[in-house]
Amino acid sequence: MLDDPIRSVAVVGGGIVGWSAAVALRRRVPGLAVTILATPPSPDALADRLPQTLPSTIGFHDDLGLREEDAVVRAGGAWRLGTLFEGWVEGLPPYVHAYGSYGRPFGTASFHHHWVRAAHAGAAAPFDSHAPAAALARAGRVATEAADPLLGDVQPGLVLDVERYRAMLAAFARHLGVHVREGTIAAVRLRGDDGFVERLVLDDGTMLEADLYVDASGPGAIVRGAIDQEREDWSAWLRCDRLVTGEGAPEPLSPLDRVTAADGGWRWRSAAPGRTLHGYCYAAAALDDASAGGSLAVAGASAIAAPISFRQGARPTPWARNCVAVGDAATVIEPLDFTNLHLAQSAIDRIVAMLPGRACHPLELADYNRQASAEVARVRDFVLCHYATARRPGGFWQPPAALPESLDRTLRLFAERGRLPFFEEETFARDDWLALLLGQGIVPRRVDPLIDVTAAADSDRAMAAYRAAIAQAVARCPTADDYLATARGRLAR
Amino acid sequence: MVVVGGGTSGWMTAAALARLLPARCTVDLVESEAIGIIGVGEATLPHIRAFNERLGIAEAEFMAATRATFKLGIEFRDWARIGDSYIHPFGTFGRGTGEVQFHHYYARLLHAGAALPPVEAFSMACSLARANRFGAPATDPRQIASTFGYAYQFDAVAFAPYLRRLAEGLGARRTEGRIVDVARDPLSGDVTAVVLEDGRRVEGDLFVDCSGFVALLIGQAMGEPFDDWSRWLPADRAVALPCRTATAVTPYTSAIAMPAGWRWRIPLQHRTGNGYVYSSDFLDEGAAADALVGAVEGMPLVEPRVLRFKAGRRARSWVNNVVAVGLASGFLEPLESTSLYLVQQAITALVELFPERRIAAADRDEFNRLVNMEYDRVRDFLILHYHATQRDDSPFWDYVRTMPIPDSLAEKMALFRRRGRVVKYREGAFLDASWVSVYLGQRVLPDGHDPRAEGPTLDSLAAGMERLRGEIAAAVGGMPDHRDFLAGYCPMPAAA
Repeated sequence: MLDDPIRSVAVVGGGIVGWSAAVALRRRVPGLAVTILATPPSPDALADRLPQTLPSTIGFHDDLGLREEDAVVRAGGAWRLGTLFEGWVEGLPPYVHAYGSYGRPFGTASFHHHWVRAAHAGAAAPFDSHAPAAALARAGRVATEAADPLLGDVQPGLVLDVERYRAMLAAFARHLGVHVREGTIAAVRLRGDDGFVERLVLDDGTMLEADLYVDASGPGAIVRGAIDQEREDWSAWLRCDRLVTGEGAPEPLSPLDRVTAADGGWRWRSAAPGRTLHGYCYAAAALDDASAGGSLAVAGASAIAAPISFRQGARPTPWARNCVAVGDAATVIEPLDFTNLHLAQSAIDRIVAMLPGRACHPLELADYNRQASAEVARVRDFVLCHYATARRPGGFWQPPAALPESLDRTLRLFAERGRLPFFEEETFARDDWLALLLGQGIVPRRVDPLIDVTAAADSDRAMAAYRAAIAQAVARCPTADDYLATARGRLAR
Repeated sequence: MVVVGGGTSGWMTAAALARLLPARCTVDLVESEAIGIIGVGEATLPHIRAFNERLGIAEAEFMAATRATFKLGIEFRDWARIGDSYIHPFGTFGRGTGEVQFHHYYARLLHAGAALPPVEAFSMACSLARANRFGAPATDPRQIASTFGYAYQFDAVAFAPYLRRLAEGLGARRTEGRIVDVARDPLSGDVTAVVLEDGRRVEGDLFVDCSGFVALLIGQAMGEPFDDWSRWLPADRAVALPCRTATAVTPYTSAIAMPAGWRWRIPLQHRTGNGYVYSSDFLDEGAAADALVGAVEGMPLVEPRVLRFKAGRRARSWVNNVVAVGLASGFLEPLESTSLYLVQQAITALVELFPERRIAAADRDEFNRLVNMEYDRVRDFLILHYHATQRDDSPFWDYVRTMPIPDSLAEKMALFRRRGRVVKYREGAFLDASWVSVYLGQRVLPDGHDPRAEGPTLDSLAAGMERLRGEIAAAVGGMPDHRDFLAGYCPMPAAA
C-alpha cells in the first residue's frame, strides 16, 4: 500500500527563504495546506540577508506566476548582470563573470579553444570582451526585449531590497491562503516510535503540527537539528567565517557588482537603487573586525552593521524523516558568487518536484538527498575554485593543500586541455566556469586539436568581428538608471 | 594513429578522426578480409543523426547506399506477458512540455478508474509507427508533429564500405593483413606496433582496438579485465537469418520475446533482418535455429549463422595508449539498439579528449568515466526488460524474473512503483520517456502519481487527453506511408 499524500506543511522561518518556500508549496502543489511560522531569521542566515541573486531567481518567480513589475520594480529591486573580480590574481586585470554566453561557436569546436590558441600566441583580447552580458555590465547598460538578438541570451540576476521583497512575498503568501503564525519555537517534539517530528511547541504554549516540516530557520536549523547534527565542514577549504555589511550614498545604478580581493578576505560593492551596498567577507583569524569595518567606511559605507559569524559547510542529508532543511539550515556558504538564495530556491523547486508521501520513504528521500548534495558540492567547488586559483601574498591567500576530488579533477583536466569533466548536477554552466578559470589566468596547456581545421588568422578575424558586433549592440541599450526609470514609469501609468 | 579492425566501429572511428582531426594524426586502419565482420543488420538510436551530420554524411545518399529505413522506436512483443505489445518511442508522451510529466496525469486518471487506451496512444511517435507512416518531424515546437525523433535501420554490411570510402576520401590509409603479434615497449607497456602475418609492422602512437570480441589489444595484449554481467544478462548466443520481406516495411524494429530470449526483426529496404538472441544455458544451437526458422515471416536468404558473446565491459576501455571502441570494449545485447550508440559515444569522447603523444592521465580518466557511465546505465535499462516480467512459461523466464538485480536498478524500479518517479539524468542514451514506456509496457505500474497532477479536474484531464488523441490522429493521417516515403526520398540502387 502506498502511503497517503502529504496534506500539510509547516515552514519554519520568516525570512525570504521561508516565505519563498511557503509561496511555492502553496502555489504549485494543489490542495496543500501551508502554515508558516514567521519567526524573523537570525542575523547570520546568509540566504535570508543577502540582496544579490543569480538569474535562477527570475525563473523561480516565473514558476510562481510572479511578474517582474511586482517582484522586482515595486519591491525596490533592480537587475544585475554579473560581477567584476578585482585583485584575485596579482598582475592580471580584473575580469567579469557575467550571466550569458562567452563567445559564439564557429567551426567544429567550442569558442574558447580559439581564444586559448590566441592566448598562447599572446594575441588574445580579454576573454570577457567576447561575452555580451559582460560588455553590457561594464558599460552600465541593460538589454531590453527589443535589443539585438546577439544579446538574446543575457540572463539577468537581481539585487533585492530584502525587506521590501520579504514583504511582497508575505503579501503574496497571504493572498494564496498560506496560514501565518507568529512566535518562536520552544521545543521540537519527536515521535517515540520513528523519530519523526510530531509537533512544534511554540513559546506561547500553542502547538504547530504538520505532515512535513520545512526548516528555513537559518544555520541553527532548529527543527532539522533536532533529528541529527551531521554536517560536512568546509572550513579547511573555505576559511572566511565573518561578514560585515554596510550601506552608503547612492551612485549611478550599475548591473555590475565589484568583488575585490583584500587582506584576509574580499569586499563587495553593489550600486543598488537609492543606495550603495558594501560588504566584507573575511577570516577572523586573518583580519580583525575593526579593520574590516574601517575598510568599508573608507569605501564609502556609513551605516555599518554588527559583524556576523558563520562556519561554511553543508548537511549531507538535508532531508531526514519528515523534515527538510533549506537555506542556511542546509548549506552555509560565503556569498562570493551570490549562490545563497539560488541554493535555497533550487532546494524548494526540488521539494515541489520530488514531494514524497507522508511516510517520507527512505528511497524517495535518498533520491532527493543525492541530487541536492551533488548540486551543493559543485557550487562549493565553484566558489572554492576562486581561492584555489588566486595568487596573492599573505597566509590567508595560500591555496589549501588538498582540494575536494571533484574540483581537483576539474582543475587538472581544464589546465591540461581546456575541457570540463561531466557532472550530473551543475549550477554553473561551462561558460561560467570558463569566465572564472580563464579570468584567473588558468590557460590550458594544450590547444584543442579540434580547431586545427580553422586557421588562427580566421579565428582572430571572427573574434574581432564578434567584439565589434557586441560593442555596437551594447551602445544601443539604455543605461541601468534609464531602464529602471522607464519600468517605474510604466507602473505609474 | 592505428585502428585495428575494419568493421563498423573501425571505419566509424577512422572516418571521424580523419574528418575532425585531419592535421593532428594520420589514420592507419589494419583489417583482414579473411576475418568476417559481425554486422547483422543494425538498428540505431536517434543520436546517430548528429554523428552522421558531424561527419558530413548526406542522409538520403547514406540511406540509399545502406538500404536504410526509418525507425521511430522499438516494438516489444510478449515481454511482460504473452500477447502484450508496446512501443518504446523516440519521442515524448503528450506534448513533453509542462512542469509535470504526462504519465502522472495518465496514472491519475487510471487511479480514478478511467478506461484509457495504452499510453502509446498519446505518443506521436508510437501512433505514427503503428500506422506504418513516416514524415519529417515538424520544426515548430507548438505542433504535435514536432514531438518525435527518428533513427535508421540499415544494412551494417553495406555501412562499413560506405564509411570506408568516406574515410579513405579523407586520407585514412587501409592496410590489408592479419595481425599475428603486438609489439610493446618493455618499460611503459605501451603498444608500439602491430605485426602482420607477412612480417610487416604497422607502428603508431595511439592504437584504437576495434577488433571485436577477440579484443586483440585491450584484452589479449593489455590484459584489461572484463566485468562479466551475464548473471543479469544471461543471453550469450544469437542466431541470425536474413529473409525476404513478407509483410510491411515497418518504421520500427521489433523485439519479440521467445522461450529462451528474444528475436529481432529489422526491416530494411531489400530484406528483413532476423535473429534469435538466447542463453545457451537454456537452449541449444540447433533448437534455436529451428525456432527462428519457424518464426520468421519471409523466405530465408541464407543459412542461419551463430554468434557468441558475453555481456559486460572492460574495467577500463582506455589503457596506456590503447583505446577500445565497440565490441572490444564491451558488449550489450542489441535489445535497445545501443551497439552503435556506444561506439559513437566512445568515438566522440576520444575526439573531445584526443591526447598528445605523451598521454595525460586526466584525458584517459575522463574518457573511462564517461564510457563506463554509459555502459552502466544502458545495462540497468536492459535488465529491466527481462526482470519486469510476469512470464513463468519457461526456465529462462523463471530465472530472469527471480534473479537478484543491481541495487541501482532495484532503487529505480521501486521509485517508479511508488509515485511514478523516474530517476533523473542530464545526459545518456535513455531519458525519461524511454524509462516510462518500458516501465508501463512491462506492467510496472505506479501506485501513486505526482501530487501536482491533482491540479486539473478529472473531466478536464479526460477531455484534454481526447483532444490530444485527435491532434495526433490528424497529424499521423497527414503523413505518407513509410514505404512510399522511402521510395521518393532514398530508393536503393536498382542493381541491389
